[in-house]
Amino acid sequence: MAEQSSTGGPAASNEGPISRLIRAAEIDTRMLGMLAAMLVIWVGFDVISSILRPGGGGLFGGSFLTSRNLWILLVQTSVIAVMTTGMVLVIVLRQIDLSVGSMLSIVAVATGVLQVFDLGPLLGVGHPAIWIIAVVFAILLGAAIGAFNGILIAYGQIPSFIVTLGGLIAFSGAAFLIASGVTVAPMDKTFKLIGGNGPAASIGPLWSWALAAIACIGIGVAIVAGRRRRLKFSFKAKPVWAEVLSVVVGCAAVLGTTAVVNSYLYPPRVAERFALDNNIPIPPGVEDKSGLAICQAADKVVSCVDGLTFQTGYPIPVLIMLAVGLVMTFVARRTRFGRYIFATGGNPEAAELAGINTKRLTVTVFTLMGALVGISAIIASARLDAATTALGTLNELYVIAAAVIGGTSLAGGIGTIYGAILGALLMQSLQSGMALLNVDSAYTNIVVGIVLVLAVFVDQIYRRRVK
Amino acid sequence: MKFKILTLLAGAVLISASSTAVMAAGKTIAVSWKTFQEERWKTDEAAIKKVVEAAGDTYLSTDAQGSAQKQAADIESLISQKPDVILVVAYDSDAILPSIQKISDAGIKSIAYDVQFEDPNALYITFDNVGVGRIMAQETLKVKPEGRYAFIKGDKGDPNATFLFQGMQEVLKDALASGKVKNVCETFTDGWKPDNAQKNMEQCLTSTNNGVDAVLSENDGMASGVVAALEAQGMAGSVPVTGQDGDLAAINRVALGTQLVSIWKNSIDLGTTAANAAIALADGTDATAIPGVAKFNGGKNKVEMNAILLAPTPITKDNIQVAIDAGHITKEQACAGVAAGTVPACN
Repeated sequence: MAEQSSTGGPAASNEGPISRLIRAAEIDTRMLGMLAAMLVIWVGFDVISSILRPGGGGLFGGSFLTSRNLWILLVQTSVIAVMTTGMVLVIVLRQIDLSVGSMLSIVAVATGVLQVFDLGPLLGVGHPAIWIIAVVFAILLGAAIGAFNGILIAYGQIPSFIVTLGGLIAFSGAAFLIASGVTVAPMDKTFKLIGGNGPAASIGPLWSWALAAIACIGIGVAIVAGRRRRLKFSFKAKPVWAEVLSVVVGCAAVLGTTAVVNSYLYPPRVAERFALDNNIPIPPGVEDKSGLAICQAADKVVSCVDGLTFQTGYPIPVLIMLAVGLVMTFVARRTRFGRYIFATGGNPEAAELAGINTKRLTVTVFTLMGALVGISAIIASARLDAATTALGTLNELYVIAAAVIGGTSLAGGIGTIYGAILGALLMQSLQSGMALLNVDSAYTNIVVGIVLVLAVFVDQIYRRRVK
Repeated sequence: MKFKILTLLAGAVLISASSTAVMAAGKTIAVSWKTFQEERWKTDEAAIKKVVEAAGDTYLSTDAQGSAQKQAADIESLISQKPDVILVVAYDSDAILPSIQKISDAGIKSIAYDVQFEDPNALYITFDNVGVGRIMAQETLKVKPEGRYAFIKGDKGDPNATFLFQGMQEVLKDALASGKVKNVCETFTDGWKPDNAQKNMEQCLTSTNNGVDAVLSENDGMASGVVAALEAQGMAGSVPVTGQDGDLAAINRVALGTQLVSIWKNSIDLGTTAANAAIALADGTDATAIPGVAKFNGGKNKVEMNAILLAPTPITKDNIQVAIDAGHITKEQACAGVAAGTVPACN
């Protein structure tokens, strides 16, 4: 939060030039630390994988820092990241939601049953309305379950830990009963695109660059507007060079990410099918539909369709994740609702005395959490192209861990949306990287657990030093 | 809804069965189920009851509802009703042993149904799990005798994941040694979860630059994740994928061609075999004289027991009809989205 990082105030005057620069530009040093950790992890995985299996084509010769792996990493992060933006608000409010995993399971299965068993036969498989009904249904069902949790917590005065622990157990049972434990598949063709699989599930290079340009302009506008607002209320504004630097760094990050997702080309087979479907001429000499073996020269795999390249661009689930992150950041920082959440989390008694309806606030926050779980359930089942009760199991732990790694304090009142999304990305990086190295999942779990505790430990030290 | 009706029906039949137990002149066969929470046990129960009642004997049953404690109490109450044979689907294969001892002490025969408990006096009836792994490898070798294989194993805490992998290794031993088959990826999958399998497969494809010619997935749920990962690379359908359980969605994938085989353990076969064995035991036949019985000592503590290991059915494009005929899946479910003329059962 800005409230947290802008504690410039009367500090010691004997600080070095770097810390003066950081203070003047109001940079969140905590986030810098996290980005540094992420960089170390990414480079580490790429270097190690280059030793184990050379020729991956990554930045350091491995297979981690390739556009393909980073693209998949973003998609893999989206399910947890969307939920974690809601969990930040829940935790800031000094509550917890342990039921998000089971809730995801129940929403995914119910939505799967609705579109495959009910709407499919009713409207005809592939009817264009199916995916819209399914999406609306999933979000509403999630919101309804969240509201139910919230009402029990706020008006029933039951601790959220207990209500949602009960939900964790009960919802998974209910999810089982809805489909009698059967895996529901396949999903509707359009619905499936939300999971990010296939050419149509990404927006392509042109739209990606267009979005990046809009984002860049947006960053500029936001920073100018923020500066004007500060000056209007006679607050101390950042030096102009710091504002320019923010725009440049923000823009570079957006353009860099866009360049990465755009340089992920369609896999050869997908490119071939796409060309055939769209009557794009396939260059002579590479026209071949017979199989992988043909595309293999000696021990090296070569593209079946060299000369036929299509850039992928942003996949839909990642766009959803970014949009959710943007909207939630706006809600948390710019709306009265958001400020009430932080005020109540910081000091519930004072907030109540100040006239904030904390009960209604609690219900709203849990409803929002539920709606976000609904969105995650859509992405998860669309990506797997199947809905099973196993979807979502243990997700509550990853969601809470991501929020905490991202700097959300379990004592309430402190937390940022972007931090939580970065936390989710960091955790997924560890998991994907270790899977890439073929490390036994037992070790992965040990590492992720240690990182969680370590992140909070470092955070404590950091906060004490800042004070 | 269907589930509820079944439960009610089962309950009604149960009450009428136990009230006639005293009057029945024939033998009494009892079953202690571990849970009815999973759909499949209902199929097993129907098969057993059918055989038992056709032979003029009486069927008794209890449901432990997923509790080792309740199962112990269930077995005591079954013993007090003096059946001739008790089939036990153990919830906890160690905690059940004292109860099995009580069954033997009461002079009643016991059968370990599907879940092993290591008591030398019991007859163990199950599907051959090592065999499932063997069939998966054999079916894959048929279509890809050479190539780069990926192994998506189940949860590392489940001994079945290792049994299955052992079976695969037995079949692939020569091909691996000669280099015809290469093991390019091998991962356990936490909780047998499909989404974990999908992520593992994605990482496998990334690290090998799509250099995978076949995937041996240990069950159908994980196969769904594997196929989704392959599909994203446009490889679904050309890379054979294995699975087991006969999941309805998996049989549909077999028909669509995105999955090579689903090894199906037909619960009806298992129930029928067990019921016939139980009747034979009740009639005083020695366990070793029952057809199909052999010695088995592959359990945790290597206890030697009499066992019947049934061969599971591999369902491929060519024999989907078997599952349809058995009433396991409808033709509509199996053939959804299948192009005409590609699968015999869908024509």
